[in-house]
Amino acid sequence: MAATPKGDFFESSRAAVDDHELRRKLESASARHLDHFAQVKAEFPFYDDERDTAHRIKTNAIAHLDELLIELTTKLEARGCKVFFAEDAADARKYIVELAKSKGAKNVVKGKSMTTEEIELNDAFAGAGIEAIETDLGEYIVQLRGEKPSHIITPAIHLSKEDIGQLFTDKFGIEYTSEPEKLTAEARQRLRAIFLSADFGVTGVNFAIADTGTLIIVENEGNGRLSSTMPETFVAVMGIEKVIPKLSDVSHFLEILARTATGQKLTTYTSFITGPRREGELDGPGEMHVVILDNGRSAMLADPVLREALNCIRCGACLNVCPIYRRIGGHAYRSVYPGPIGSIISPNLFGSAAAYLPFASTLCGSCKDICPVKIDIPRILLHLRWKESTGKHPLKWPGEIRRARSGARRFARLARHPRTVRLMGRLAAALLKPFAHDGYLRRMPPPFRNWTKFRDFPRPRPQKRG
Amino acid sequence: MPVAPSAHRAELATSFARELEAVGGVFLGMVTPDRLASRIVTVASELRAKTVAIGQSLSADMGAIGEALERADHTIVRTVPVADVERAAMRARVANADLGIAEADFAIASTGTLAVVSTDSRPSSLTLLPPASLVIVQIDRVMATLAEILTEMGPQRVAAHRLTLITGPSRTADIEKRIVLGVHGPKSLHVIVVWPDHD
Repeated sequence: MAATPKGDFFESSRAAVDDHELRRKLESASARHLDHFAQVKAEFPFYDDERDTAHRIKTNAIAHLDELLIELTTKLEARGCKVFFAEDAADARKYIVELAKSKGAKNVVKGKSMTTEEIELNDAFAGAGIEAIETDLGEYIVQLRGEKPSHIITPAIHLSKEDIGQLFTDKFGIEYTSEPEKLTAEARQRLRAIFLSADFGVTGVNFAIADTGTLIIVENEGNGRLSSTMPETFVAVMGIEKVIPKLSDVSHFLEILARTATGQKLTTYTSFITGPRREGELDGPGEMHVVILDNGRSAMLADPVLREALNCIRCGACLNVCPIYRRIGGHAYRSVYPGPIGSIISPNLFGSAAAYLPFASTLCGSCKDICPVKIDIPRILLHLRWKESTGKHPLKWPGEIRRARSGARRFARLARHPRTVRLMGRLAAALLKPFAHDGYLRRMPPPFRNWTKFRDFPRPRPQKRG
Repeated sequence: MPVAPSAHRAELATSFARELEAVGGVFLGMVTPDRLASRIVTVASELRAKTVAIGQSLSADMGAIGEALERADHTIVRTVPVADVERAAMRARVANADLGIAEADFAIASTGTLAVVSTDSRPSSLTLLPPASLVIVQIDRVMATLAEILTEMGPQRVAAHRLTLITGPSRTADIEKRIVLGVHGPKSLHVIVVWPDHD
């Protein structure tokens, strides 16, 4: 299993709620994303049909994962790739770092990849004295700050352009600017030099086509293309769930992935990579490795409810619509996979420290509505809650949550006696009557005072029974 | 009433042009094959491209285009099959070019996308390393959807070489979700459609 994220979700989420600047940034970025999404969705009448098709293909692929992975491996090897199955994060890290060492790699470049974040590959490189440079602009920025990404698609969503301007001034000694164009140009120039001398490249994979042995990488910046064409040795890291049966399946996913992820019709670059470069070619690696990672995924596969989460294509849309994510941001989750889908994946990857996450949801269903592959996220969250609360090791909840839970339990007992409830209702109506004005309570006595601090409460009235 | 083939092509080209511009690309219009070289010379000088990297032909006459550019005093980098020892030097020359010219195998009308297969004489670098990219596409290679071109190519051709779908110039929205062009790949993408019977 991967390293457990440190810290306590309750502390970090409370701190995040109090951070008004963070909320402003998250709200503005989420709103912009949802605007773009609404626009492209309106222009694409087949959107819902494509979602159904994508859901069907993926569900079917997950059900036949064993066969598809064998087919993929055979095809990849026939194309000249070396395939390594990693049971867990440590396995994958060891294979990749040993490979880099055996190649004498000096200059490692990384394309954006959540899977390599999951296995904490950069730390493993650093431990071996190899510097791995993140080349996606957002990842590059958070790496310079010594942070982790806070969003699957937009890693630096928690930073303002002023934060980034200050970072570049501090790190590079350049004149301060907060203009995104200038900051981007600076990063381009620095990273281009690194790319041209890179000898070892690592990227993630969006889709792997079993019947052709083709890996598909989807991106906007060109760093995925550079990371997979410039270095002599190239390693693609993918979870076992990325495999789809055939070439004709892939357009259904590409038609919806960019629309939900970034509000584009297609991303700028979609690379179809089948094996290392051919004789005489300028571009592409001389040697190509594919690391296929399990790391808890087959345990998800074994659970008939949880299995559906393996359909996820990592578009990040459920984060942008989630009322919890939009209040606390990605870092508070203490996992590389935040938000609704992260609350499902993380407990499997990171164990007990992330076991609280399925409870950090209002179950409002926005995530399910936007999911391009129609994952029923609220249902899986409820399933995980049920598993947790009936499991052998009950969670240790903080005091206020324990009090709320015991309050709810008391109310549940009370609600079994409708007469008593009705009586208490009448009593409350009578007691609260003197506090009401025009049918509303402007101020309530403790312990309800906080409620009426910012809103009025309709006066309880005994219901007329009809 | 059946749609005349040329009307259908015009419709696809129009839709392609609109979508290309929507993603920040520049549509340079349609030209007949005999006017292609002179059009490209004009574009290269408008872009102030001193050095131009150019691949081998797919169906356009890249030889003639290269010569026309040389006559107009542009320095030409021609990508040819390379041995391992020449690779770094060739890459550096392509990277230092001001403009890369390539021909797309297909274009997708519904998304403004170019599909480019990378081979030994038409490397992926041409559309990736220089700061400006000029792509030529034949009118009969413009198709309606991505699914159509994948069907047309079939698994064998897709798997034979690296295939790249290009939809607009390189871009990022990583800083406050503001779109900036040219983060790692070309800052500008220009497309010319070649139409034999067009006047």
